[in-house]
Amino acid sequence: MDKNKLFDDYYKKSLLQGGTTCCPGCGGPLYWRMILETLGPNTILYGGGPCAGCASRNIKLPRFNLHFSFVADAPSGIVAALVAKGREDVTVVSSTGDGGTGDIGFGKISAAAERNENMIQMCVDNEAYMNTGIQKSGLTPYGAWTTTTPLGKEANKKEIPLIVAQHKVPYVATTSVAYPADLRAKVAKAKDIKGFRYLHTVMPCPTGWRFDPAKSVEVTKMMVDTWAWPLYEVDHGVLKLTVKPKQRPVEDYLKAQNRFRHLKDDQIQFLQKTIDDKRDMLLESDGKRIII
Amino acid sequence: MSFTRMMEGNEAAAYGAMLSRAEVVPAYPITPQTELISHIATLIAEGKMKAQYIKVEGEHTAMAASCGASAAGARVFTASSSQGLAFMDEALWMPPGLRLPIVMCFVNRSIAPLGTLRPDHNDSLQQRDKGWIQLYCENSQEVLDTVIMAYKIAEDKRIYLPVGVCYDGYFVSATASRTEVPDSAEVDDFLPPYKHEMYNLMPEDYVKATVPVGSIAERRYGMQEAQERAKGIIEAVDKEYEKRFGRGYDGFIEEYACESADAVLMTMGSMTGTARDVVDEMRADGKKIGLLKLRGFRPFPTEEMRELAKKYRAIGVVDRNTCFGSAGGGIVVQEVARALYSLEDRPLLLNFHVGLGGTDVTMRQIEYMAEKVLEAYEKGKVEKEVDWVELHDLGPVM
Repeated sequence: MDKNKLFDDYYKKSLLQGGTTCCPGCGGPLYWRMILETLGPNTILYGGGPCAGCASRNIKLPRFNLHFSFVADAPSGIVAALVAKGREDVTVVSSTGDGGTGDIGFGKISAAAERNENMIQMCVDNEAYMNTGIQKSGLTPYGAWTTTTPLGKEANKKEIPLIVAQHKVPYVATTSVAYPADLRAKVAKAKDIKGFRYLHTVMPCPTGWRFDPAKSVEVTKMMVDTWAWPLYEVDHGVLKLTVKPKQRPVEDYLKAQNRFRHLKDDQIQFLQKTIDDKRDMLLESDGKRIII
Repeated sequence: MSFTRMMEGNEAAAYGAMLSRAEVVPAYPITPQTELISHIATLIAEGKMKAQYIKVEGEHTAMAASCGASAAGARVFTASSSQGLAFMDEALWMPPGLRLPIVMCFVNRSIAPLGTLRPDHNDSLQQRDKGWIQLYCENSQEVLDTVIMAYKIAEDKRIYLPVGVCYDGYFVSATASRTEVPDSAEVDDFLPPYKHEMYNLMPEDYVKATVPVGSIAERRYGMQEAQERAKGIIEAVDKEYEKRFGRGYDGFIEEYACESADAVLMTMGSMTGTARDVVDEMRADGKKIGLLKLRGFRPFPTEEMRELAKKYRAIGVVDRNTCFGSAGGGIVVQEVARALYSLEDRPLLLNFHVGLGGTDVTMRQIEYMAEKVLEAYEKGKVEKEVDWVELHDLGPVM
């Protein structure tokens, strides 16, 4: 079998053109391929992520983009234009990174959620401003090294999915590229719901997290398996844990990345306790309505 | 059917947007633009206007949503003022660069600190370098007519630039004047539905946003060329509008009572109304002063300005703005000076700062400025290049 032909045929069908400018081991292309296969071609895409347009500029779909600081805003206009044109069959997807979601576009996400804009808002979260060279964002986890937190971040990661859920939007979910079936199922579910849907995916970044690119999926899977990134959904106010892995100690996950290599034992214990508390809270709420 | 009644500038703008069949209106309230968007909300609620009003959480989002809607094929209207325009600054770069024909009302208001709710022109003039076309209006009727004309200008495929319809807060926005609202079918006939030839976001016939091609210099030169082309098109749209609706605005610069004038004052916006009265009175007294109303600021009417400068040998430019540390005077006079520099025989040029922070530009102040221009003409020289009129005690207002 001609290898080139294999690739050519694949990329002819795929909605993501090959040859992205992503770093080796980046979760971006993997993520977009899964998302796009599930969404299908009747989709308008706004925005980028992770890292500007490294992957998303290769997407073979109608695309519109302004600039990093424009989050969930231009797509609100696209949604309104579609209503004006009587075109409610088209899915509008708006994408941004962790800085766009947690920092500069936080108010915009909140406002679009409040307006219940008919779109899927995605946070492609690699836990820092990686495109500009690894600077801390509001979604960088406690303790992580970045170029602006050389001694490790002092503050916690914002709980954006639960904050968005409190806007009483129809659907919120956390996903991971290490759990593809879970990710696809959530995207498919979100596609069929009307209103503001929010998908938050943590994206492995070997460059910023400081690990061997070959271990990208392994590290990402460890993040879920330690419960550092639990996979759940809030469907019309009801929380459901969609993956309940047997818990590994967080130390395994931290030790796999050099961004955490300076952590002292008490800091690791603090992180373990934070994770355990959140796990208990989630298990307690599993299957229950958490939004009034 | 057309009808005529007393109408405030903001309501006139709302009628302009309705008659233009704006389909998406993303807007955030700010004084003195607020009545404009509440009029639009009411027109939509009453079923008179068919549009999606996106009640956004800030001006940055208002302009971003405008871009998205315009690229997706909807005719877009929005409006802002002052701090709102400053907050929107980053987003205001987008429509000209992406060649999106959005129409926005800049309801002028002074900017903080040392700001008030009342108007000067710094808020809209500070947007002058971004590629927006800017037209300044004097009263409600002109606002309504200009909004409709603005779409015809913006959506011309030879231009594809956003248009700002600027008018003074309160003096125009909240002052009722006689306004004729044209017949909706006639406006439809004048203004065909919006279709952007360079954009299509619909999945089945997606046209990859091909507008910006070439180097940044080439793309920016394309915008510059569009601004240049807009000069002829703005004049032509104005003439066509006048032929159809009976009202025209002399394109970029209106000459008022200028016959055999030696010297002229040049005004912008609502103060022009007061200046007309003062010039009438002074002419009745035999003084040869005229009035130029600058309506089109972007593109700047350089060629027209040069022609006028051959006729009027002393020009006093009235700047309702500040430009600290500039080469001399306000923003408008610097444009005029550049336009006239290459003339061999340049007229005398004076500059006045007045009406800052929305203080009333009084008849007495206009008379003072006119006298100074006449005096320069008679003496053949300018004694004071830049004069802050409000710092003088000019006695009684009238």
